[in-house]
Amino acid sequence: MTSPISTSAVFWTLWLFVHLILALGLLGALTHQAVAVALPARKAAGGIVSRFRAVSAPTYATAVCVLWVLTFLVGSFIYTSYRINIRIPLEQGHYFKTGGFFDFKEHVATLGLVLLPAYWFFWKNAQNPEYDNARKGVTLVLAVMCWFLFIVGHVLNNTRGFGA
Amino acid sequence: MSTTVTANAATAPTTATGSALAASSKFKAFATTFSITGPVIYCLTVYLNWPVFTYFPATGRFFWGVQAAQSGTGPNMLWYGWTVTTILISAGLGIIAMMLPERVTRKIPLFLVWLFPILSIPFVVYSLMFWWRLAMKE
Repeated sequence: MTSPISTSAVFWTLWLFVHLILALGLLGALTHQAVAVALPARKAAGGIVSRFRAVSAPTYATAVCVLWVLTFLVGSFIYTSYRINIRIPLEQGHYFKTGGFFDFKEHVATLGLVLLPAYWFFWKNAQNPEYDNARKGVTLVLAVMCWFLFIVGHVLNNTRGFGA
Repeated sequence: MSTTVTANAATAPTTATGSALAASSKFKAFATTFSITGPVIYCLTVYLNWPVFTYFPATGRFFWGVQAAQSGTGPNMLWYGWTVTTILISAGLGIIAMMLPERVTRKIPLFLVWLFPILSIPFVVYSLMFWWRLAMKE
């Protein structure tokens, strides 16, 4: 017979998995875009690195916005369980840096969220050179944020996952 | 060896991508104002502790404004409230910006969109000082 605790752990772990899949898609799209703006391909794509740089970056903009919002919403849902089932044991185990970095992550996720309208606008006007610098800057900032969020979430899950 | 230089994939004309929104100067004013003010408003919201609501995950209950954790309620969560406060205020400022003449909104410095979130990071790290202090004591 399955206990309520293990059923709950499975439920939250599945949601965490959804969060991971969405985050992976977001990370891939943003990394492609960031490389394309930071190191634009100047020749016809040859090797894997050149092809990585030569993606049609503007086509990623809407997908990045949708993925950021979905990842944010799923993460916010999981956060309710984290606050009870993960954070309290982390504090009891004196994993203060881990707890601190998770709170850092939540702030960065919101800071990234509010950048999305301008980010989307700049990419949808990719033909306008007036926005080149702002587009490059906001894309790089979002990519760095996304890598930070991903790494902190990954380390936190390794420290204590649902069902641990 | 080919000397052909292909169009820069990152800046090649892609479209007008069909979106009236993307071509709208009013949406530009809204989007840039929202994104520029967002990080500033968020830092102020956290500093002044102005969540629209407080959530108690143990009981599943919401309360307007700040509500401290009490015996039997479990921990409180302010981050949802801070985020909603930020979105509401930034959206309000964005709507005000849409009402301004284009000659005014054209002067909004666009580099602030990426600069303000970077400048927010030191404050965010500082706001988490209680965690770092506990870690230092270990």
